[in-house]
Amino acid sequence: MSEAVPPSGTAVRRAVPRINAAFADAGVTGRLHALDIDTGASVSVAATHLTPTSSLHKVCLLATLYREAAAGRLDRTRQIDIPAAERTPGLSGLAVMRDAVRMSLRDLATLVVAVSDSAAADVLWREVGFDAVNRTMAELGLTDTIAVHDMAAIREALRAHPDLTDPAALADISILNPARTNRSTARQMAELFAAVWREEVCAGEPAEELRALLGLQAWTHRMASGFPFDDVRVSGKTATLPTLRHEAGVVEYPDGGRYAVAVFTRAASAAAILPAADAVIGTAARIAVDALRSV
Amino acid sequence: MDLLAHLRYFHVVAEEQHFGRAATRLRLAQPSLSQRIQRLEREFGVRLFDRGRGGAVLTPAGQLVLAQSESVLDAADRLRSVVERLQDGEAGTLRAAVPAHLGGAAVAALLTAFQERSPGGELDLRELTTAEQTAELAAGTLDAGIVRHPCLATGLSFGPMLHQPLGVLLREDDPLAARPEVDLRALTGRGLAMPPRANSPALHDETLTAGARHGFTPTAIRIVEGLEFTRALIRSGADLVALIPDPPPEPGTTWRPLAGRPLSWRTSTAWRAGHDGPAVRVFAEAADLALRVHSGMFAAPAERPRAARPEMEFAL
Repeated sequence: MSEAVPPSGTAVRRAVPRINAAFADAGVTGRLHALDIDTGASVSVAATHLTPTSSLHKVCLLATLYREAAAGRLDRTRQIDIPAAERTPGLSGLAVMRDAVRMSLRDLATLVVAVSDSAAADVLWREVGFDAVNRTMAELGLTDTIAVHDMAAIREALRAHPDLTDPAALADISILNPARTNRSTARQMAELFAAVWREEVCAGEPAEELRALLGLQAWTHRMASGFPFDDVRVSGKTATLPTLRHEAGVVEYPDGGRYAVAVFTRAASAAAILPAADAVIGTAARIAVDALRSV
Repeated sequence: MDLLAHLRYFHVVAEEQHFGRAATRLRLAQPSLSQRIQRLEREFGVRLFDRGRGGAVLTPAGQLVLAQSESVLDAADRLRSVVERLQDGEAGTLRAAVPAHLGGAAVAALLTAFQERSPGGELDLRELTTAEQTAELAAGTLDAGIVRHPCLATGLSFGPMLHQPLGVLLREDDPLAARPEVDLRALTGRGLAMPPRANSPALHDETLTAGARHGFTPTAIRIVEGLEFTRALIRSGADLVALIPDPPPEPGTTWRPLAGRPLSWRTSTAWRAGHDGPAVRVFAEAADLALRVHSGMFAAPAERPRAARPEMEFAL
């Protein structure tokens, strides 16, 4: 349990304008939900707006994989043959490897978190299924969290728009419209992480394995950049689409304080590389966590 | 015009914020002091003080001149000490340095302990920043020093690492000053007065990171050098604090320890690797003793736990 007493309403109220100022300074609009996993206290900024989730939905997929495995409906150690052809193209993991592999469901899950491997994710989408993922989210009370397609479909939709730097063209892209793509809210993505940490998705050893897995993401330019502390653990998953940069995860302090945070951003610029927009995810997350830890 | 002398008058007026008090301190007649400051203002072509009934307040231009002239005066002091050393022929003299904020008692104890251990040995002691010390140690113009960590360690050897807990320097009438100790998180919304980052970049960053780790991210950083100017700024603005070791008490500001001792300055003696002659060893011993007894320093606590992350690229 956290040593901190529940934060005063004042601290939380004061955090919101600072978070919005940080978003504005980075050239983005943002949505955020941060909650103390143990007390339920929270900080919210536009946290219930439906937003495309893109790669963040991989967390829904993995949560379902582990919940199904814990219930005995699926064996997460089952080996899958994955030929070189027919893989979803991407920029990391199996998506860029050239030869056939044989890998367990849980090792595919590891690649999905560590390097956001879209080829591995789509193998799991086929094994687990959209219905099971959407049903699991509904069982957890996350009824706005809905998957309608896999990473290959998202890629196809992007390829239909060759000019991803034109703001007018971007406005028409189906996968930037939450009604037509995988979607959730900042609040529900933070609640999903909280549910994993509270063992409401699954309990015991599978839950420990799932939490350890979610701590393996290799990149640290977003959420983790706000917590550059040797003794603080940051677990999380990023998502990126043209102008959209998200991350959701859990921040754990050695005093027992643990906080689920989701930050969704949309940049004014369509540039693919925007370090300030990445870093503000960490900045905003820390303002929120500091408010939850305030005295 | 003797620029150095006029700058020293200017510094005293800036510290006192009052011509009468400054004149008393300098043992000058007030009209004479006023004339000298006016002379300096004519020389620079800017007004340095707003003079009112309450005293003399630095103008923005005056603040800039104050910050810049500090290094001029420091350099002049160094020049004088070098010249004196040349005149003395350097016989039996150990050239040593201490950082700011060590405290008069610790420096006095260091001098005494050195004399006791090395009768007849001369200690030429200067106040230098860590960056200046490491540069001078490498250049061979300094024999031994007391440095703050983290500092660049190439070519240097160090004595035992000592910790000095930091507290918060507050305005006397600040509500937090009424508490026996202050939680860093309670400083949310305040600005932080810090020395220039260039003095010791790694320490500057480490202080900010450790503050953030314990819930305090300052709204702004006000660069200020020297304890006196730091106190003056804190007195003049309610939203500014400094994180420093326990300073000598002075009306107007109050120092409070931080709850849980989350921040400390790490300090050790340093000398050029391979150049630890008898005098250097005596200095290191005397310094270690003086720091433990008079600066409230203690040996390093156990390492904090680390959370492994893939970016570390090696398993713990």
